[in-house]
Amino acid sequence: MVEYLLGVGILAAVYAINALSLNLQVGVTGLLNFGQVAFVGIGAYSVAILDSHDVPWIVGFLVGAVLAGAAGALVGRLGRTLASDYWAIATLALAELVRLVALNQDGFTGGAQGLSAVSGIWTGMSTTAREAATFATIVVVLGIAYLVARRVRNGQYGRVLVLIRENPDLAASLRHNVVSAKVRVMALSAVMASVCGGFYAMYISFIGPGQLLPFATFLIFTMVVVGGLGNTTGAVVGAVLITVLYDGTRFVRDWIDVSADQAAGIRILVIGVVLLGFLLVRTEGLVPEKVKAAHARR
Amino acid sequence: MHRRRIKARALGLAVPLVLALSLSACGSDDSGKKKADLPSANTSLEGEFKIGAVLPLTGTNATIGKDQQRGIELAVAKINEGDGVMGKKLVVDIEDSQGTADAAIQAAKKLVSVAQVPAVIGEYSSGNSIPMQQYLESQSVVGVNPGSSSIELRTTGSLQFSTIGLDDVAGAFTADALWDKGYESIAILAPNNSYGTGIVSSVSDAFKELGGTVTTSGVYTEGQSDYRQELNRLKDSKPDAYVITTYGKDGTVINKEIYELGMTDQPVFDIYLSQDVPDADPKSVEGRIGMDVNSTSENGQAYADFYEKTYGEKFISSFNGYAYDATMMLAQAINKANAADPEAIAAALTEISKTYEGVTGPIVLDPDGQRSEQPYVIAEVKNGEIVPQ
Repeated sequence: MVEYLLGVGILAAVYAINALSLNLQVGVTGLLNFGQVAFVGIGAYSVAILDSHDVPWIVGFLVGAVLAGAAGALVGRLGRTLASDYWAIATLALAELVRLVALNQDGFTGGAQGLSAVSGIWTGMSTTAREAATFATIVVVLGIAYLVARRVRNGQYGRVLVLIRENPDLAASLRHNVVSAKVRVMALSAVMASVCGGFYAMYISFIGPGQLLPFATFLIFTMVVVGGLGNTTGAVVGAVLITVLYDGTRFVRDWIDVSADQAAGIRILVIGVVLLGFLLVRTEGLVPEKVKAAHARR
Repeated sequence: MHRRRIKARALGLAVPLVLALSLSACGSDDSGKKKADLPSANTSLEGEFKIGAVLPLTGTNATIGKDQQRGIELAVAKINEGDGVMGKKLVVDIEDSQGTADAAIQAAKKLVSVAQVPAVIGEYSSGNSIPMQQYLESQSVVGVNPGSSSIELRTTGSLQFSTIGLDDVAGAFTADALWDKGYESIAILAPNNSYGTGIVSSVSDAFKELGGTVTTSGVYTEGQSDYRQELNRLKDSKPDAYVITTYGKDGTVINKEIYELGMTDQPVFDIYLSQDVPDADPKSVEGRIGMDVNSTSENGQAYADFYEKTYGEKFISSFNGYAYDATMMLAQAINKANAADPEAIAAALTEISKTYEGVTGPIVLDPDGQRSEQPYVIAEVKNGEIVPQ
């Protein structure tokens, strides 16, 4: 049981890092990034590819962060020429691009077969201890990501980002460099997403193009929206809540006596109803954003 | 204003998403078709012996998952009608993989860590089965794959097995069949996923080994509305025979276009005929030759009748049999090992496989724990029906 709970904890923390990243883009800056999974994929593949060549995992993380950061900055620059709606479509295209490269570069990425047997961290330990150590490590990384995201959001830079979201023309007229601000927030978010991807690949021990479908991005969107768009704490709350909801409902079957496929259907239905309930009752999310607080600090 | 708009837009995104998540679960209810109840359990069995299964019960492969579940249900009923497992009733704890790797791992984790089962059956997609078996191996739990065919499964560990022949087995059979028919050059088309790329490389390798030439081999991206470009490449390479493998909506389109492009003047060889022929326009596949899994053995026929009697319809896929055999073999192995110890079960599995006659034919496990041979059949489409040659 302990191991299962640790497993849920690890997955929740990995998703929370991703949600923090997406929240910085969508929630804080108003950049509708539908291609979040591209950055996750870059991180995951970097770690997995280097791992298959016996390079220490930390190097994989660094390479992934650099590549994803560069990709993020590039996408942020695109925003200069594309209006926000078209930019959102461009991000979706970027995600498909990354997926198609992963699918077709057989020699490098394992193609459609993906890369398996990605070794995790703390490989020397016995199973439960290892799981606990992995969980602790990821929670520390999540803590760092949380502090960074909070600092960005609450600082002067964060106020500029919120202004860009609310009124980009006003931001520009106040001589804020809108493009540079977007580029920086995209690069930072992409680095965070790539770290999430690295841990994801190591936890699942496998990465393939099937995991880079747009659905993976929308799952994170759900977490951010349910948690509270624009609120750093909300992103974490949303990620934890949805992961726990998915895994907690596995126990539903132990109480009701129906066949496995019906129980599975009921489970997904319960998840859907609960999420819809949250969205209908708390339209601003569980932990709504407080814009006033940021202004008052000045 | 802008912020609210973005929020509204994000909400507009999330709500349909959530709805889609829940709707994907609502499968067709065919309880009305059910004909006969499963045989009831032997009353002398006391207590329960639990093993696990991870199947795609929701998501895109839900139909296959449901069929695998049926195979397991039938096996459990057969086992419990008899002597059970170690004098106990066999219970298979089935978890949903949602068709994704993350959920498959979480499901396996729950089975191993909460239910503490010594063996887990699953999954269907190679992308889920591989990481799941790696996880099971790391926990010293037996894994039996009843549906994935990637040759990567050879490397997942000493406690991991397959009751379905991997791509290399199907590939070797196909290459032999093509060579025997006298074709010296072939062009291959398959979907660009782990199944398709695996089968392309195993067929090409085996065919070249026999001395044949592969004029071109291509993979197509699934979900397109037109495949003429890919098909023309095959046509332009002028092989003795076209070799294709496809299924679902893509299969319907590809078969239609093969016919329209006049490629049916040459022999078209289909890997797993029953995957696409039933969905195709009958005139486009008339005379098509190909290979498929053989389910006409004596055992297989009795099983097919059992299945049809219980569910009131014929097999909805060819995957229930492997799940049935996986459950049966595990039960026999546990009885032979007479312990819930995974190491002992794994040893017993290899041992019993030497003489095991399953409903999908004999299942001899090679040193990697993989099914080393599988009876296939060469068939031809005559008047819209698949007729074995």
